[in-house]
Amino acid sequence: MAQDRLHRILAELSAGDGAWPVARLCAVCPRILGVNGAGIMLMSGDIPRGSLGTTDEVSQLIEDLQYTLGEGPCVDAYQQDEVVAEPDLAEPVTRRWLAFTPPALRAGARAVFAFPLRIGTVRLGAVDFYRDRSGPLSGEQHADALAVAGVAARWVLEAQAGAPPGTVAEELEAGADFHFVVHNAAGILSVQQGISVTDALIRLRAYAFTRDRPLTEVAQDVVDRKLRLG
Amino acid sequence: MSREADVVRSLVEMADTLVDDYDVVDLLTGLADRCVSLLGVSAAGVMLASPAGGLGLVASSSEAMRLLELFELQTQEGPCLDAFRTGERVEHENLAAGSGRWPSFSAAALQAGFRSVLALPLRLREVTLGALNLFSTTGTPMDEANIIVARAFADLAALSIIQHQAAAEAQHLNEQLSAALTSRVVIEQAKGVISERAGIQLDEAFSRLRAHARNHNLHLTAVAQAAIDGTLDPRAWAAIRS
Repeated sequence: MAQDRLHRILAELSAGDGAWPVARLCAVCPRILGVNGAGIMLMSGDIPRGSLGTTDEVSQLIEDLQYTLGEGPCVDAYQQDEVVAEPDLAEPVTRRWLAFTPPALRAGARAVFAFPLRIGTVRLGAVDFYRDRSGPLSGEQHADALAVAGVAARWVLEAQAGAPPGTVAEELEAGADFHFVVHNAAGILSVQQGISVTDALIRLRAYAFTRDRPLTEVAQDVVDRKLRLG
Repeated sequence: MSREADVVRSLVEMADTLVDDYDVVDLLTGLADRCVSLLGVSAAGVMLASPAGGLGLVASSSEAMRLLELFELQTQEGPCLDAFRTGERVEHENLAAGSGRWPSFSAAALQAGFRSVLALPLRLREVTLGALNLFSTTGTPMDEANIIVARAFADLAALSIIQHQAAAEAQHLNEQLSAALTSRVVIEQAKGVISERAGIQLDEAFSRLRAHARNHNLHLTAVAQAAIDGTLDPRAWAAIRS
């Protein structure tokens, strides 16, 4: 049964254009899982490192929010090492993600589901899916999502296996967004304010949070010298 | 009845190693001990192939010198080597009868008091990792029922080892990815620091950082970290600035 499911998903992936596999994996999720969008987040040391792929603006925003706020379905799925489901963000059963939820709802996400990205005990991050209407994943969809997460995890590590030592694999970097602009901005800010880069990152996050702006946008403004934090 | 229960319990215990973190040597020592206690053989040992391709003893039911020497010999000839190479079971019921098959090994085995020997490959589909070697002091062939049990132990051990290797490799790759990303983050932060200090664009900052590292034979990440920490030599800064 599980083999059939895997074969079906792999068959979907092999068809179609030559876009790189993780993006392709995300792209087939809406059809396979009956969701509106998907995103894959890479995490290590308990913090988001960035996204390996997203399917649309909403899933991009969902990923950005989690990167900025450090909370959300992918973060929980990774940290707790279990599937996280919120079938109705507007009336959640569990009270959580107080900063993440309002902007996610405004963007059009009504239900979110996140699955850990892992191979055995090795944990890489998580994949999340959103729907514009409330409701849980069916048993079939849940099982398919688990298979998708497994394929994604395997693909990430295989891609990395081909990388020269000490570097991130080209295929992983090509479609990913590791938010390096945030780190560029932290470097700039650290010099401007005479503080450590670590403190600069904290100040950037605080600024983005209080002004309700995505961290990456604030960072880009700092880099473009359009914004100088006082 | 009790022996069956023991066999079942052994299989369950070994199967547990599939999900838990465990030590390969512990697993295989346990396997060798179980073979002796449950299968009526006098001694058992497990040889595994090294990355270089040769077989080496990993675990045995006893540390007796004569037994260890028998395994040492088997790096060159013997039932383990044959089982490993062919992926098939290999046995010799009566070493004393002789067949010229393994001259050095047979002589040493007989001297050690063993009359018969059986080797089962540690194998999962097309991959053979090594062999399980059983020794008996009697000259009778091993009971087929016992061989079935021995094979079950061997198969489970092979599966555990392969899973463990796969997990270790996945762990290693994940750590590499994480370290590589961390290095990139340091470099990106340094680009920001240099760009602000020298009043240049980020791309230019990176070029100068890289040039400095190359000219002085330093690791890029180390120079980047020093730029962030403020431990970079003033002359280096001057060079980067200009």
